[in-house]
Amino acid sequence: MSDNRHSTAQPGKEEYEEAVLKDDAEYRQQHETVKRQQAEERERAGEPAEPKVGVYICRCGGNISDVVDVERVAQVVAMVPGVAVAKVHTFMCSDPGQHTISNDILENGLDRVVVASCSPFLHEQTFRGAVSRGNLNPYLYEHVNIREQGSWAHKHDPEGATRLAIQMITGAVGKLRNAQPLELIKLPNHRQALVIGGGIAGMKTAAELAARGIRVLLVESSNRLGGRLNERGRVYPSETMASDLVADLERQVRNNGNIDILLNSKVTVVDGFIGNFRTVIEGLIGPSGGFDKRDALVGAIVMATGYRPYVPRDGEFLYRQDPCVLTTPEFIQMMQNLDAGTGSLQYNRRTIRSVAFLHCVGSRQLDGVNEPQADGTLNKYCSRTCCSTILQQSLALRKRFPQVHVYDFHRDIRTYGRGEEEYYTEASKAGVVFFRYNGEDPLQVERATGASGKQAPSRKEAPITITVKDMLTWGQEIAVPVDMVVLGVGMVPSHIEDLVDSIKLPTGEDHFLQEVHPKLRPVEVAVNGVLIAGTAQGPMNIQETLNAAAAAAVKAAAMFAREMVELNPYVASVDASLCCGEGLCVTQCDYEGALHLVETEIDGQTVQRAEVNAGLCVGCGACVAVCPHRAMELNGWRLDQFEAMVDGLMADTQHADCEPQLVNLG
Amino acid sequence: MADGYTPKILVLATEKCAYPGADAVGKAHLEYPSEVFILRVLSPVLFPEDFYLRAYSKGIDGIIIASCGSDCPYHGAYERLAKRIDDLTLHMKDGGLDIERIRLTAICTVCIKAFLKEIAEMEENLIRLGPVDHSLAETLRTESRQRLQFSGRLGLAGNSATAERVAL
Repeated sequence: MSDNRHSTAQPGKEEYEEAVLKDDAEYRQQHETVKRQQAEERERAGEPAEPKVGVYICRCGGNISDVVDVERVAQVVAMVPGVAVAKVHTFMCSDPGQHTISNDILENGLDRVVVASCSPFLHEQTFRGAVSRGNLNPYLYEHVNIREQGSWAHKHDPEGATRLAIQMITGAVGKLRNAQPLELIKLPNHRQALVIGGGIAGMKTAAELAARGIRVLLVESSNRLGGRLNERGRVYPSETMASDLVADLERQVRNNGNIDILLNSKVTVVDGFIGNFRTVIEGLIGPSGGFDKRDALVGAIVMATGYRPYVPRDGEFLYRQDPCVLTTPEFIQMMQNLDAGTGSLQYNRRTIRSVAFLHCVGSRQLDGVNEPQADGTLNKYCSRTCCSTILQQSLALRKRFPQVHVYDFHRDIRTYGRGEEEYYTEASKAGVVFFRYNGEDPLQVERATGASGKQAPSRKEAPITITVKDMLTWGQEIAVPVDMVVLGVGMVPSHIEDLVDSIKLPTGEDHFLQEVHPKLRPVEVAVNGVLIAGTAQGPMNIQETLNAAAAAAVKAAAMFAREMVELNPYVASVDASLCCGEGLCVTQCDYEGALHLVETEIDGQTVQRAEVNAGLCVGCGACVAVCPHRAMELNGWRLDQFEAMVDGLMADTQHADCEPQLVNLG
Repeated sequence: MADGYTPKILVLATEKCAYPGADAVGKAHLEYPSEVFILRVLSPVLFPEDFYLRAYSKGIDGIIIASCGSDCPYHGAYERLAKRIDDLTLHMKDGGLDIERIRLTAICTVCIKAFLKEIAEMEENLIRLGPVDHSLAETLRTESRQRLQFSGRLGLAGNSATAERVAL
């Protein structure tokens, strides 16, 4: 082994390096003696040859080495049984750093690699790549996090951080001793996508996929395409007609030979896995337009199932108790249905002289203030689109009926998107009056009692009174008489419980579909091959919905770029020599078809043995824990590997000062 | 309690939630003791009881199962995990191993405060309790293996409590 370990010495540390070099010669001598002895012992015992592990420790340009004594770590771990090479590099992720790994594998015959550097989320894949380039199986690699969970978290404890790094690496080496080479699982890929939901998200996804030459089944449960946009008029910030957007997208999907549109239809069964989903679609899809069932084999599924507007409870802000209390979609419909040129605003035989818009109805609900939904949960999230909708509608109302007073009651105003803040400014200029209240101290919407305080109000008095502690006037209590109340309702998830159950889709606390990672993998879900487009994931405006739909389409198209589907090798596997066919594991598996018992013949006797379908297994490991014989293991995360890691972490418990010679030598 | 006792805490952190949560603590340059050992797991539902008990017998003083809670990406895994930890707690209690040494919690990708709070609370408990009796933990581990094997013969998956009742 060359002396690369110190080839990237940091300036100003020469003296230190020199001392280390001197020590190093001694340690290496000692190391080699120990290794020789171990090898001789193993030979006598007839054990297989020791693995040759290469350990690489990153300075991260000081991010790690300013706290962790990386040279010391290298010296100590070099003594750990199985470690053939231990080197320090200033930037392991740099080309020279990566090259060191592949080079050492090729030249020194390493068969396992550990890199101790930053979080695995940054460079685990990088180093697996470097290992592959050395012609070694990339799963004979272990990543150790000594930055985010090392130097940065233990800045004031350099001794401890150094000891921890040694222990973590020792654990990783232990894990690798029991590692097996793993291969990506390859399965055929059916080049057809199922898009569930025919709103703008579904149509956009279908159009984008079809444009890439992929066949699409677009399934819509209602009798027309367009979804919620069919309930809207002009939409912010472009002020285009929603119907124009729908018509444009509908033209794109209708005139495309790659897209089959199924209206009045529902996906009732989903089974299988990426590249190979077997689905059943039911609905009015027969040749005569009658009810029928249809099987479809698809490679990817896009959930474009959208949202429902929140429906207030009876009596919530007088909803369904006063005919002039409307939700935003109802108000928009009403405005659209008005005859052009109407001079005054009449609704329900009432002349509307003042309208109140209420923000956050069914959104941002607070414990102890708002009544929970039927299932006991509160909608704690912000629905994101209601503020701009309210401001757009109140501005339009003021412009069309300048004599109507418009009042806006909000806790906060969140016009976050480009071109949306302008609505706030414009509404202000147009004379919309704003009231701001504290969520803990909610406003009251009540029937007005009339001037005398007892009987109903006269025709001239407004029938509804809103009482609010207004923060803009330093908490003054204000009673505002109004003729109409518009409830700015938020978004709640569509009723897709059956699909969620059938596909095993993860949902968040808010019951919307949940992505793998909000930033890094925003349109994928934990189920491989299933993507989310639009508001099925949570409140989004039209732009965001279309962005998400395009992203989901591109993601799906990328899946179809390969003839075979490649799956992560972290799936359960059965050691047939240990399995007794008791079947405890099978009872733990929630994924249909992933794990079952099969009959097989051993020594002339028919016995049962567990069998995993690697394509259906998601790798949760629920089956592993119950096997009395440890016949069931999760590839790449075996129990004996975890135990080896714990042993590594505890390696020098009796010797807190972590002197190299005191490290567990096996 | 002997002076200078530093409890060793094992954190089983889920890849989707708690592990990035622990990263977030480091990224914020907030600190916790270096005797906290974080292992990345896909889902802690993988571990049989004897894994935890073995860890105690090897010198781990406390274990925090930092799961995804209800945000678990695997169907039914969190519910099964919760049930398993309930059973484990029961067996620890029966066997005389302090149940404050085990903690099932949910830590999200940005739950920095929750992570630090869990560590601090566990640390406090463990300092009060002192080191684990390693041989007791080893005995309990052996018992739990036997229980699992027994449930295997009866075909009672994940229901070792029932297995015991049947045995009685």
